[in-house]
Amino acid sequence: MGSVVIPHLVTGWHVDQAIMSEEDRLVVIRFGRDWDPDCMRQDEVLYKIADRVKNFAVIYVCDLDQVPDFKQMYELYDTVTLMFFFRNKHMMCDFGTGNNNKLNWVLEDKQELIDIIETIYKGAKKGRGLVP
Amino acid sequence: MSGRKDFLSQPAPENYVAGLGRGATGFTTRSDLGPAREGPSEDQIKEALAKRAAALGNAPPTAYGVPKKKDDEADDEQFRDAENEEGLFATGNYDREDDEADRIYQAVDERMDRRRKVRREAREQAERDDYERNNPKIQQQFADLKRELGTLSDEQWAAIPEVGDLTGKNRRNKQNERQRFYAVPDSVLAGARDTGQLGTEIQDEGMATEAPSGSADQADGTMTNFAGIGAARNRVMQVRLDAAAQAQTSGTDSVAGTATNIDQKGYLTSLDKSELMAGETNLGDVKRARVLLESVIKRNPRHGPGWIAAARLEEFAGKIQAAQNVIRRGTEMCPKSEDVWSEAIRLSQSHGNNHNAKILAAKAIESNNKSVKLWIEAMHLEQLPAAKKRVLRKALDHVPQSVAIWKEAVNLEDDPSDAKLLLAKATEIIPLSVELWLALARLETPEQAQIVLNKARKAVPASYEIWIAACRLQEQTGNTQMVSRVMERGIKALARESAMLKREEWITQAETCEEEGAPLTCQAIIKETLGWGLDEDDDSKQIWLDDAKASTNRGRYETARAIFAYAIRVFYNRKSVWLAAADLERQHGSKQALWDLLGEAVKSCPTSEVLWMQLAREKWQAGEVDEARRVLGLAFQQNPGNEDIWLAAVKLEADNGETEKARELLSAARSEAGTDRVWIKSAAFESQIKKDSDDALSLVNDGLNIYPKAAKLWMMKGQIYEAKNMLPQAREAYNTGTRACPRSVPLWLLASRLEEKMGVLVKARSILDRGRLAVPKNPELWTESVRLEYRAKNMAAANQKMAQAMQECPTSGLVWSERIWHLEARTQRKARILEAIQKADNDPVLFVIAARIFWGERKLDKADSWFAKAAVLDPDYGDTWAWWYKFLLQHGEQAKREEVVGKCVVCEPKHGEVWAGVRKAPENAGKGVEEILKMVAKELE
Repeated sequence: MGSVVIPHLVTGWHVDQAIMSEEDRLVVIRFGRDWDPDCMRQDEVLYKIADRVKNFAVIYVCDLDQVPDFKQMYELYDTVTLMFFFRNKHMMCDFGTGNNNKLNWVLEDKQELIDIIETIYKGAKKGRGLVP
Repeated sequence: MSGRKDFLSQPAPENYVAGLGRGATGFTTRSDLGPAREGPSEDQIKEALAKRAAALGNAPPTAYGVPKKKDDEADDEQFRDAENEEGLFATGNYDREDDEADRIYQAVDERMDRRRKVRREAREQAERDDYERNNPKIQQQFADLKRELGTLSDEQWAAIPEVGDLTGKNRRNKQNERQRFYAVPDSVLAGARDTGQLGTEIQDEGMATEAPSGSADQADGTMTNFAGIGAARNRVMQVRLDAAAQAQTSGTDSVAGTATNIDQKGYLTSLDKSELMAGETNLGDVKRARVLLESVIKRNPRHGPGWIAAARLEEFAGKIQAAQNVIRRGTEMCPKSEDVWSEAIRLSQSHGNNHNAKILAAKAIESNNKSVKLWIEAMHLEQLPAAKKRVLRKALDHVPQSVAIWKEAVNLEDDPSDAKLLLAKATEIIPLSVELWLALARLETPEQAQIVLNKARKAVPASYEIWIAACRLQEQTGNTQMVSRVMERGIKALARESAMLKREEWITQAETCEEEGAPLTCQAIIKETLGWGLDEDDDSKQIWLDDAKASTNRGRYETARAIFAYAIRVFYNRKSVWLAAADLERQHGSKQALWDLLGEAVKSCPTSEVLWMQLAREKWQAGEVDEARRVLGLAFQQNPGNEDIWLAAVKLEADNGETEKARELLSAARSEAGTDRVWIKSAAFESQIKKDSDDALSLVNDGLNIYPKAAKLWMMKGQIYEAKNMLPQAREAYNTGTRACPRSVPLWLLASRLEEKMGVLVKARSILDRGRLAVPKNPELWTESVRLEYRAKNMAAANQKMAQAMQECPTSGLVWSERIWHLEARTQRKARILEAIQKADNDPVLFVIAARIFWGERKLDKADSWFAKAAVLDPDYGDTWAWWYKFLLQHGEQAKREEVVGKCVVCEPKHGEVWAGVRKAPENAGKGVEEILKMVAKELE
């Protein structure tokens, strides 16, 4: 039900607007498909933490079937992918998976997700492009 | 959600390319997952656009009509205007709204286009036609001319000037500069030499002998004579160098080559000068000048002289056609320049194309119809008088104010009455031209002329020429008394108009009148104007005398006479004016005029004995002795006590052999004007007539009673006694004389010589000593002392006296010459004379000595030149002439002798030791200079 509450980005334009319109908050976008069970689980967690991170992050969801524009650009081949942007800049984070660009697994620990988001936000505020 | 953004509810733009708006870039993590790309590619975008458009059911979006090829657009981009709408929003997306807007605008445009279409097209057509009419194409401009070409004759075709080839000129010049020169191969030189093409100037000496052998070699074809080739080359080089050297020495032409700046005018004149030797000029100079002038023309095409110079250059280079082309261009560029036109006319005319010259003249006049010069030139182009007249008539229509044209027109008229008519008209139009008035007056009959001149005077009241002309008219018609009256009136009128000339200018006018045979007018002018502009306090007498002298020098005696007449009228009692006037008459006038003048003069200045004497002398010289006597009688009446007149009268009588009369006159003179001079003359006269007459002695004694201080009388007394051989009485006379007149050197000398003659040397010596005491530092006394000693063969005493003399009179030429000639060894003379000339510079006696030294050394040329120097230095010193004559008797030719004698006679020398003695001797009285000269020459040791 999380996907219902979290705002959807229905076109590429909306995605770009979402990324560009934020001045001092981290933009977190979940690329995936609403009907996908992994996505549902992830959305559940995202919905739960959304209010807690609203001071430094904003969370959107984007259906890859509806907006296929970024599939190739961002190599969106996983069922669920979280990406982070700050001031129109793609934030990278060393998750220990070998792919620093995105978080492409389901992370159901709310506190850990908050910590990750917070860590990325802090790194972004300091001007870093890659956060440990 | 609190922070829901409004964009989430907005629809996405029409054909948005994802990621494009924010410049998103992709990344590659794993290469196996697909092609790594950075953002949306060009193809992708295009594809997307096309896809969207297709989806919308429209043609791919471009503003109007046909889509352009993308490649072209990329090309166009760089030329796009930054301000342009298209460029400004190029980054934006072309969406449906834009398309719609475009369509609407297009529809509006089309609608606007349809409205008033017919009217607008008609207007545009009219505008286009109008433009074409105003700016016709060249082809259209010449269409009519082209058609007329069909009517041209062959001759006219030939006369069409060439078109200069100006295309690509710079490039051609550059190519010419880049021209390469190659050394001539030996084979060419050799071949040329063999065929004798190298010219005659190198066919001398060695070459002549070498050539056959060379050709023999060549004929063999086996070997080349390289030495011969080298020689030929050297020869060619030498010939060139010689030519260059000649060009250098031949003068200014080569200078033009080296100089970088050329004075235009100077260049023109030098061109004129060198025109004669056109054949010799260097081709290179012409080229250089051509380039220079070309640049002059280019830089300042409105400058006439540049064109003229260029044309002259071409003409000078012999390219007549080119010259004509240049000057034609010049006339186009400077249509207002008279000089350029006249140069063009001259060019055409001087090369036989008179017809063309006429056409040019017509054109020239068309653009400068006020130019007198061009009109006159056009007139000269015509041969027939009728045609000339026609041209001048036209000219007068255009320039009625030109005196020159009127004059030409009048000159062309053969019939005086026609000329008169023309001149009348001319004076009407140009009343201020004095020339025309005078010309008209000259043509008219005397009565008419007077009327004309009166009119002229009214028209030009300030013209002195008209007054002079009026005077001359009166003179010609014989109205002599009217001449001066007219002049008087004229001067008054001119003074009123304040148009008086200066005095000097009036004199010039008078001289002109005299030259043209109008002496009365000349006199009238002088009479009226000589006193003009002179103030009271000016030294007018001197000024007038100067004027008269200047006129005399210019050969205008009538003017000078008139000036004198005026001056005499003003200064009636001034001797100097009369004398100057008499001088003029004597030199340039008739005897009668002179007599009249002198008669008048003695009347005005009766006390001036000079005038009387002149008059008497003139009469006497003319052989009218009685007249002369009468004149002198009148003079006696006027100046009873004047010894000069008395003596003149005595001389007159004595020379005419009337001894008795002379004696009477002298006795009368003694009683009336008993000066010592009269007494001396009387005594001398008596002793001349009879050597040892008692009359003379008694006269001398009487004279001495009255004038005991007259040294000459004492001398005479002594001499008379000497002549009578009454030596003691003579000694007595000299002694008393020296006591009475101790300062008289000749008296001392005579006394000492008398003693010497009597053999009493001691007495002579003591007399000289006394003389030296009385007259110290006198070279003659000292010389006499020295001479006395060596005449007595007492050389030691002579040397001692000479030393004293040298101390007393170190700068006396006489003492020096005595010493050098008599007391020096022959070898020492030259050194001494040098010293003497340095000490007593410029003494003729010394010069004569120098000449005699050279004569003695037989350096005849030098001697002659020293004699000449001495004669020039003091022509009054007779001894010089005598020595010279003697010298010439030995070594000179007859002609030279005569020349010297002639000079001597002209100079009439009076001094000189020997000369004076011979001249004054009583037996030589009345002898000419030439005789005396010969006698003196004989007398000299």
